[in-house]
Amino acid sequence: MLTSLYVEGQSWFHRVPVRLKLIALLVLSVGLFTTNAPLLLLPAFLLCGALYLSLGMTARQAFSRVGFVLFTILILAAVNLFLVPFPDVAALVLRLTALVLFAAAVTATTTIGAFMDETTILLKPAERLGLLRAADVSLALGLVLRFVPDIFARYQAISEAHRARGLPIRPLTIIGPLIILTLKDADTIAAAIDARGFRRQ
Amino acid sequence: MNTRDLVLIALFAAIVVVLGLIPPITLGFIPVPITAQSMGVMLAGCIIGAKRGALAFLLFVLLVAIGLPVLSGGRGGLAVFAGPSGGFILGWAVAAFVTGLIAERFVHQGNSEARQFVGFFLASVIGGIVVLYAIGVPWLSAVTGTPLTAAATGALVFIPGDLLKAAIATLAARAVYAGYPLLPARA
Repeated sequence: MLTSLYVEGQSWFHRVPVRLKLIALLVLSVGLFTTNAPLLLLPAFLLCGALYLSLGMTARQAFSRVGFVLFTILILAAVNLFLVPFPDVAALVLRLTALVLFAAAVTATTTIGAFMDETTILLKPAERLGLLRAADVSLALGLVLRFVPDIFARYQAISEAHRARGLPIRPLTIIGPLIILTLKDADTIAAAIDARGFRRQ
Repeated sequence: MNTRDLVLIALFAAIVVVLGLIPPITLGFIPVPITAQSMGVMLAGCIIGAKRGALAFLLFVLLVAIGLPVLSGGRGGLAVFAGPSGGFILGWAVAAFVTGLIAERFVHQGNSEARQFVGFFLASVIGGIVVLYAIGVPWLSAVTGTPLTAAATGALVFIPGDLLKAAIATLAARAVYAGYPLLPARA
């Protein structure tokens, strides 16, 4: 149900270290906003597009991942046409699309494990300040992934119970029990975690 | 933070993921689908409070960033942040925090039922709508170059749906508060 957006592949971009990709994304997102020149934005857009399409996805797959964001950009561009001069609108569409495609390329070529390693490094300063523990973040993340299918099954059980009684399935009547039943598990899970000494307290 | 708080945060983040899997409801009178997921901000603040609610959403945003399709409609990945509505997603944690602060202040066990409803509704509206749009709309305007007034006017389309979500979140939060109160034992 929760499959990662990572795409198996052997492209050169797959082999670039995560940190470099994230820094490149950061530089790109700052850099592209400093210019309005189509001579810089158009090549950036074409390069990002080519990079994204070279990752070994079918055109349909590639589009379905970013289609929603591109759709929002186009709607805003249509609104902007009435408010902002045309060259600016063209610049904004190129800039945002380039950025979105590059970001999607980073997501498609980085495994969750690699992202997590990077997150742990980024959290180190906060850990040193005593704000949080990087191990807790990983544990919480694992808990979410582990419990999503369970909670979804519970949602379906509640809606089935609704159906069995001939009640309409409304968010309002489902959310309450869903949340109570889920959060009631917290004590048991917390006790299990502590009993196994996962957090070394 | 004890283990129970950590688990509550993770479980609430998981609930938000599940809310995104529920098919959206389309209302007849406005063209915007109502997904249960954006109601999660209001629910998180009102049910597990400011600190834990904000952390649940930070965790959720981390899930989005590392490339899990946890946003409604199977969206996810860094592209969502690079797009025009990135500010709304990053603003969720702040919105949940403010919602929680107000709920913690205004809703107490001894209050009448009506007062609890009012407290949760105010918290949901101020945190989940006012604060969220105060972050998301200027962000959108800065990223897309759309003038701020135009962006704000455009956002008005979503307000009726958001008020409906606040109403549903209020009823759900009050039901949880009556059945299994977590808000008083704040982290």
